[in-house]
Amino acid sequence: MAERYDAIVVGSGACGGWAAMALTKAGMKVLLLEAGSPVNPAKDFHHTFLYRMEYRGQSKPGSLRRYSGSERNYRIMLDNLENPYTTAPDTVYNWGRSRALGGRTLHWARASDRMADYEFKAASRDGYGMDWAVSYADMKPYYDRVESFIGVSAAKEGLPQFPDGVFLPPMPLNCAETIFTAACKSLGWSTTPRRLAQLTRMHNNRPPCHYCGNCVNGCDVGAMFNTVAVTLPPALKTGNLEVRTDSVVAQVRMNGENRAQGVTYIERFTMKPVDVDANYVVLAGSTLENTRLLLLSAKGGLANSSGTLGQYMMDQVGGGGVSGILPRLKGGPSRLDDGKSSGITVPNFQNFDKKSENKDFIRGYVINATGGQTEYPQFAASLPGYGSAWKKEVKSRYVAQARVWIAGGEMLARKENFVELDPEVKDHWSIPVLKIHFTHCDNDRKIIADFQQKAEELFRKAGGEVMAGLGRGGPAGFPGAPGSPDVGAQPTAAARGGRGAGGTRALGGSIHEVGTARMSAGPKDGVLTSFCQTHDVGNLYVFGGNAFPSTGDKHPTLTMMALTARGCDHLIEQAKGRKA
Amino acid sequence: MRDYKPAFFAPEDFAALQSFTEILIPTDDAPGAREAHCAHYIDFLLQASGDVPQTQKAWRDAMTALKDSGFHAADAQGRAALVEAMSKPERDRAATHPAYQAYRLIKQQNTFAFYTSRAGMIEALEYKGNSFNASFPACSHPEHYKL
Repeated sequence: MAERYDAIVVGSGACGGWAAMALTKAGMKVLLLEAGSPVNPAKDFHHTFLYRMEYRGQSKPGSLRRYSGSERNYRIMLDNLENPYTTAPDTVYNWGRSRALGGRTLHWARASDRMADYEFKAASRDGYGMDWAVSYADMKPYYDRVESFIGVSAAKEGLPQFPDGVFLPPMPLNCAETIFTAACKSLGWSTTPRRLAQLTRMHNNRPPCHYCGNCVNGCDVGAMFNTVAVTLPPALKTGNLEVRTDSVVAQVRMNGENRAQGVTYIERFTMKPVDVDANYVVLAGSTLENTRLLLLSAKGGLANSSGTLGQYMMDQVGGGGVSGILPRLKGGPSRLDDGKSSGITVPNFQNFDKKSENKDFIRGYVINATGGQTEYPQFAASLPGYGSAWKKEVKSRYVAQARVWIAGGEMLARKENFVELDPEVKDHWSIPVLKIHFTHCDNDRKIIADFQQKAEELFRKAGGEVMAGLGRGGPAGFPGAPGSPDVGAQPTAAARGGRGAGGTRALGGSIHEVGTARMSAGPKDGVLTSFCQTHDVGNLYVFGGNAFPSTGDKHPTLTMMALTARGCDHLIEQAKGRKA
Repeated sequence: MRDYKPAFFAPEDFAALQSFTEILIPTDDAPGAREAHCAHYIDFLLQASGDVPQTQKAWRDAMTALKDSGFHAADAQGRAALVEAMSKPERDRAATHPAYQAYRLIKQQNTFAFYTSRAGMIEALEYKGNSFNASFPACSHPEHYKL
């Protein structure tokens, strides 16, 4: 007979970790299943200089296709050969994934912004799509709870479109960020230090950040929020949690009474299938993996009476950006500019009220900017010349680098963007993989075009000089892979922000995937309730980005966690009711 | 390193590459390609590139182009003049040189090898990150608060 638990949580990322903590603290016996391996942050994540690694932080030439990561972080990234996915012919989608205890919390960029009512009620405002089944008032207590627990360093700004929360002191700005802030001010745009789930002082027994700048390779001390340092320890302390890593969940099993009976997982290395049962099944294995499991668990998809499962897939639009230098900073002393791996945020300033309406497009986006010294001078190989003069110029520009990039460009929800099971391709464990159908619409492209124009305006206002070889804007670049294409000395379209490129080019890095099981007030319009419980199966909850009816312009993780906290409260109430 | 036997390059090509990298990134008041052993690192990367035959071929072609340009046979002065000539298309779009691609390839990989080395990253650029710090250094320049 299968082992039985009060609840099974599938996945150990931001949502799975929180669910495991919330449910075990409520006294439930929980089994947490993770498809990847355990990690030991103190041992696995450390301050490694590029020159201490054989391939200087890259992978062995030619092996990049196997892991989406690098020499530094391959432990927490995913093996692409074991975990394939397919795409429709017109789809460009580079799905960034992790399989490890902690999931993407181990290397996320930590941006933690609250969504506002103009996003939850966007459809009511501009008539496109569907409102969320929750309002800001519903979400606020849960945002408060999540922020208080994980620790978010940020400044209060009093902006209606960028709600304040429970904050630790913000991180100071470096020189380039200070100049960009002044430039924004003169353009009439608000700014704030990027809001980060990264500690600026001791919090819940976790040490503050030590500004090494290695965040996306895994934090060795747990100063940034991740499951293994923050939500897992209190869950384990209850004595109610069992963690099984290297356990690849293949389906949700149903009983005869329209309730989930449990799940079947496959032992990653032995290939042995194992059945486990529970009163509640919680899927929290990342947005698209959750939907894949629902599709795998019943013909036509489990909990799909609405017929919307898999549909309305979104991922915030990216791409574009400006990179170069701020000549004012040239030749200055070397400073620890990239130690917080962060920047400034320019909250969305369009389409959030009548006054800010833009006639060309609906919805909005957030701008980020930073600059200064980086680990590697990405521009150097493209800087014309050689010899001592070139070397001095590299050093002079090294401290003056500057970047403007887009964060959270809203992408519209469209039915024709969907995922389904590929009829032929299977993963390493013979589980059918996802086929992704994903294209952009005119409004998405207008958002990027408007951002590009505003980014260039900001860059000019700050006195910036555009440079080749930096690629598109974004956080500090990683060295070009050995043998990677020569960027050359002439500014390329990509270096100028990729303008004029064809419509099929990927807009963004594809790491903010949401939708595919949207929440709705009634069971006809969506898969999930506002508590992320499936309309059709009372003891099945889905935490992640699945419930999002629209992307909003904020980074999605904090909202996913707040939805998880709210859903767990609901689940716990349900469980108490059934016992009584 | 004196008795180093290159694993990918022919000995004469390796000697030429060493000289080329030192012209691109010379030793001056800061260390250069010589101290960072850039040619050795490039040799290491290329012998590890067996799964990327197009990369290895690009380098063989580059060394042939370099040799055809007369670089191997030239003296120090001649080599400096050759690098000057083959780098011209970087500054002047109308200019061409048969070894320009070779120049770009070596420069790109040499730049990577140098600025990811301890000599390049720490001694030449004085990179401050990847360290333990009690606080983050805020901008302390009143002039940066205005445009």
